[in-house]
Amino acid sequence: MSEIQNYETPNSVSEAADILAKGDVTILAGGTDLMVQVDAGRVEYKSTLMNIRRVEGLRGISDEGDHLRVGALTTITDLLESDLIAEHGTILTEAADAFASVQIRNAGTIGGNISNASPAGDTLVPLVVLNAEVELASKPNGSIVTRTIPIKDYFTGPGKTKKEDSELLVAVIIPKPAAGFVSTFDKFGSRPALDISTVSVGLGGVLKDGALTDVRVAFGAVAPVPLKATATEAATEGKKLDEATIDAIAATAKDEVNPIDDVRATAWYRKEMIESSMKKVLRHVSK
Amino acid sequence: MPTIEKESLIGKRVPKMDAPEKAAGRTRYVHDMNLPGQLIGKILRTDRIHAKILSMDTSAAEALPGVKAVITAKDMPAKMLGLNNDNPPLKGDKVRAERDEIAAVAAITEEIALEALKLIKVEYEDLPTLFDPRESEKEGAPHIQESKDSNVCMEFEYEHGDAAKAETEADFVIEDTFKLHYVTHACMGVSGVIADFDNITGNLTLHSNTQVPFLHKREFSEVLEMDPSRIRIIQPPIGGGFGSKLDIYPFEPIAVILAKKSRCPVKIVFTREEEFMASPTRQPAYINLRSGVKKDGTITSRVFDSLLDNGAYTSWGATIPFVMMQTASSFYRVTDCQYATKAVYTNNPTAGSFRGYGNLQATFAIEQHMDKMAEAVGMDPLEFRLKNAQEAGEVTGQGMHFKTCGFKECLSTAGEKSDFSRKFAENNANRGNGNPVKKGIGMASMLHVGGGAKIYPSDGCGTILKMDDFGHVTILTGASEIGQGSETVLSQLVCEELGVPLSAVTVVNNDTDITPWDVGVHASRTTFIGGNAAIGAAKLAKAKVLESASQVSNIPADQLDMRGGCIVRADDGEVIMQLGKLLRGMHFKDKAELVTTSFYYEPPSVHQDKGFKGDVSAAYAWATHVVEVEVDTETGIVTLDKVTAAHDVGRVLNEMSLEGQIEGGIIMGQGYALTEDLLVKEGRVITPNFRDYKMVTAPEIPEIDLSFIETQDGEGPQGAKGVGEAPSICMAAAVGNAIYNATGVRIYEAPYTPEKVYRALKGAVEAPSMAAE
Repeated sequence: MSEIQNYETPNSVSEAADILAKGDVTILAGGTDLMVQVDAGRVEYKSTLMNIRRVEGLRGISDEGDHLRVGALTTITDLLESDLIAEHGTILTEAADAFASVQIRNAGTIGGNISNASPAGDTLVPLVVLNAEVELASKPNGSIVTRTIPIKDYFTGPGKTKKEDSELLVAVIIPKPAAGFVSTFDKFGSRPALDISTVSVGLGGVLKDGALTDVRVAFGAVAPVPLKATATEAATEGKKLDEATIDAIAATAKDEVNPIDDVRATAWYRKEMIESSMKKVLRHVSK
Repeated sequence: MPTIEKESLIGKRVPKMDAPEKAAGRTRYVHDMNLPGQLIGKILRTDRIHAKILSMDTSAAEALPGVKAVITAKDMPAKMLGLNNDNPPLKGDKVRAERDEIAAVAAITEEIALEALKLIKVEYEDLPTLFDPRESEKEGAPHIQESKDSNVCMEFEYEHGDAAKAETEADFVIEDTFKLHYVTHACMGVSGVIADFDNITGNLTLHSNTQVPFLHKREFSEVLEMDPSRIRIIQPPIGGGFGSKLDIYPFEPIAVILAKKSRCPVKIVFTREEEFMASPTRQPAYINLRSGVKKDGTITSRVFDSLLDNGAYTSWGATIPFVMMQTASSFYRVTDCQYATKAVYTNNPTAGSFRGYGNLQATFAIEQHMDKMAEAVGMDPLEFRLKNAQEAGEVTGQGMHFKTCGFKECLSTAGEKSDFSRKFAENNANRGNGNPVKKGIGMASMLHVGGGAKIYPSDGCGTILKMDDFGHVTILTGASEIGQGSETVLSQLVCEELGVPLSAVTVVNNDTDITPWDVGVHASRTTFIGGNAAIGAAKLAKAKVLESASQVSNIPADQLDMRGGCIVRADDGEVIMQLGKLLRGMHFKDKAELVTTSFYYEPPSVHQDKGFKGDVSAAYAWATHVVEVEVDTETGIVTLDKVTAAHDVGRVLNEMSLEGQIEGGIIMGQGYALTEDLLVKEGRVITPNFRDYKMVTAPEIPEIDLSFIETQDGEGPQGAKGVGEAPSICMAAAVGNAIYNATGVRIYEAPYTPEKVYRALKGAVEAPSMAAE
C-alpha cells in the first residue's frame, strides 16, 4: 500500500490550488470511487491526500442568468432534489435518480463523478446532452487562473481527462436550454439499484410539432469516453418522430457505436440495447 | 392458592434470541476478535492456473522486520484435506487452480504481511490446462490430480425398475440437456479463523466459523497430526454459513502452522476478493434428462445423467449426487429410474457444499421437464403434478418412506392462492399480442430431507441440560447456531416441557470442550435432530423434578405439571410450589442432588445400502413455489413480481423465524435464477466483488405469500420437519417455467440474466450439450 505523507484540508480554492501546485496530490471528495479503487489496488494514493470537503463555495447550484453553476462538491442527492436542475436539466435529475444507492448519492459528488471519468458514469451522458462545460482552477504563477472546457471534449479515455494535475475541478456550467427543450435519460442495467450501466442513452432537443431540433444525443458505456453521437443527432434533427423514423434513428444509433465485450455484457448485446434504448427515449420525448 | 394456565410458545412469533445484539451491532464476529500478542496471517496464492513449482525463495520475506513466520509446503505435515485426500493445505510441487495456496506469512501487521508476500519468489513451469468438464475424460486431457487414475473424482450410478423397458411403454419421450452455472455463498461474514496454542500445555484452541465443529476437530487432528483431545474449537457468531463452512479449507491448517511456528496466536480473515475466489462454489452441472410419459399423464420412466465440475480439489460437496439422486428417483412416482452422476476434476474453482446440496440443479431440470411433459400430453402443469405427486405412506423405489407428505396440499394451496391455472392459460393466450412486456406464471416443487440425513456413522445430536437452584435452565447442545435461529427454537422446545419462560433459558452451543457431540449444521437437520435431543433431555429433567415434587407434596408425579416456573396440579393448575424452591430443596437436603440430564438423539433413519437404497432421513419436506414474472422482450429483463409458496413444515414452531428462513431462501433462489453468476474465464473468477457478482437487492425482492402445511410428523420435535434448505431449491425451475409461459421460449441454461434471455428470444442461444464442442 502506498504511503500517504500529508493529509491536507484546504478551506478555499486558493489554498487547494497552492497544495496542488506542489504536486503529487490525490484529491478526495465523496470518496465513493476513490476509496473503493484504492482498496481494490487499482489506484494508489499519492504522497499528499487532499480532502476538499471543507473548501468553501464548492457545493450548491446557483442560477447565473443564462446558465446554472453547479459546484464540484454538489452531491448527487443535491442534484436529485434541486428545482433548478429539474427545470433546466430534467435529464440530470433522471440520471441522479438512477445513480447507485441513496448512501452513495449522499456522499458522491458531481465533480467526483466527472473526475472518475468512467465511460459509464451516470451524470456524464446528461452533461454532454446539456452542453455543459467544466471549470478548472489552478495557480500557475501565484494567482488563480481558471479555464473552461466543453464536457464533450473533456474526456480522453477511461479515467482520463484534460485536467492537469495542478488543476482543481471547481464547477460545472450548464447553459439554460431554449424554451421547449425536452430531455430524457435511460440507463440500462440488469437491476434497479446499485448497478453500473450496461449502456445509457441521453437525448435532448427542442420539441415542436412532433419533431426535435437542436438535437443532442449521447451514449454511455459504449466507448472509452461518454460518446456524443453526431450521426444519430443528424438522423434525428428536424424529423417528425413517427414509428418508422424512430426505428431508422435507432438503427443509426446501433451502427454508430462500437462497444466492447466485458463482464457486464457483450458488444453485440450493447448494440442491441442502444437500439432498444434509443427507441425508448425517442418515444418518451415525442409523447 | 393461585392457579396457572398452560401456556405454550410453540407456533408463536418469538423473536430470535440473538436478534437484539445483531440489530444493535454488538455481535462480535471472529473479525472483531483480537487475542493478546496476535499476529496477522496472509496467504500467498499462485498467479498461475496449472503449473509445476520449480523453486520458491522466501528468504527476503523472512528477513523483513515484523515478520514472525513464513511457511511453505515443507512446514506442513504431509497430509491432505478433502474427501478424496487431494488438497494439500500448502501446495509444494504443483498448483492446479487460481486459489492455490503456496506460502503464508504471519506478521505483526497486515501491511507487513502483505509486503512480505510480495518478496516471495516462485519459479514455475506451466502445464496444459483443463476448463471444460466435458473434456476431462477425453484422451489426452491434462491430468489434474496425478495420484488419481483419471479426472473422475466421484461417480454414482443408481437404478430401480427397468427404465429402458418402461420407456418403450411411453407415448412421449422427452430429452433435454440443462446447464447450471457457478454461484457462491457470498456470506456477509467472510471466512476467518484464529489459531491459538497454549504454549505451556501445547493445547490448540481454534476460534472458527465452522458449521461442523466435531467433525472438524477430528479432521484437524488428522491433518495436523495432533492428538484430537488437545484441540478445542470455539465458534464465535458467524456471518453466514449456507454450507460454505462444512469443510476444512487450507487457510485453517495454515493459521495453525503459522501459530505453531511463531508461537503467537494467528488470525486469518479473507478479503472479499479472496472470499469470492477461494471459498467454495455450487457445482456447475450439465444434466441430461430423458422422461417417458403416457397420454394419460402417467410418468413411465426417468433417465438422469449428469456431469459436475468439481474443480481441482474434492470437498464434501462432491457427494451432492446422493441428493440429486433422490430427486430423480423419489420426488414423483417414477416406477423405473436410471441415474448416473459424475464429478470431474478441472482447473476451475473448487466446488463445495451449498444450501440445497445438488437439489437446485436436479430440480431445475426435473421441474422444467414436468412442464414439458404436461404440455406434451395436453395437461395443465398443476394437474399433471397432482397426478404424479407422492402421498403419505409411499415407500419409493429408492426406499424412502414418506410417513407424512404434504406434497399435494402444497401443490393445491400454492396453485389456488396464486390462481395458477387461470393465469397460466391466460398468459399462453396473450403471448402473441403486441405488448413487448409479457406476463408469465410458473410452478416448481421440491422434495428434500427434513429429518436429518444419515451419511456419517451417526446423524445424532447430544444435549446436556442443567437446572440451577433458581429454576434457570442451561441447554448445552452440540447443535451450532449459524444464524438459522436454532438457539431460539431449542429454547422454545425446552420451555414447552419445563414450563419456564424463555428468559429462564440459556443456550451454550459453541465450544467442543463443553457441548456434547453433534454431526454438524447441514441437511436441514438442526431443528429436527437438535430439537429432539433437547426435548429428550428436558423430559428426563421434568421426570426428576416431578418425582421430587411428588415426594414433597404427596401428590403422585403423574398428577403434577410444570408451568410458569412453578410445580402445579396438572388438572386445575393450582400452584403447589415454586420450581426454584423445589430445586433448592433437592440440592440442600441430606441426600443432595442436582437436576442435570443428558440425552443423545439418533434418528430412526438408516444408512443406504451399496445400491443407494434405504430410508436415509427420518422425515421429508415438501414445497411448491408459484412465481409470477414479467419478461421485457426488448431488453431480456425478467422481473420477479410475486412468489406464492406453500411448505410442508410438519408443524410451525416459531412463525417469525420460519418466515425469515423461507423468505431468505426464496431470495437466495431468486439470485440463483436471475442475477448471481460467478463468471470464470480460463480458471479465473472475473466477478470477485459485489459490483459484478449481483446479489438480489431490496427493490428486487418480490411480494411473497407464504402458506405452511402442517402434517404433524410423528418423529419430528412437536411434529416439525427441517426446512433450512427447502426454500431456495425450486426457484430457478419455477422462473424458467414462468419465462416459457410468458414467451414460449424454453431456456435450458441458468441464470436468466437479461442478455441470455434476450439472446434466447432472438433465437441466438444454442441448447446446451453434454458432448464437448
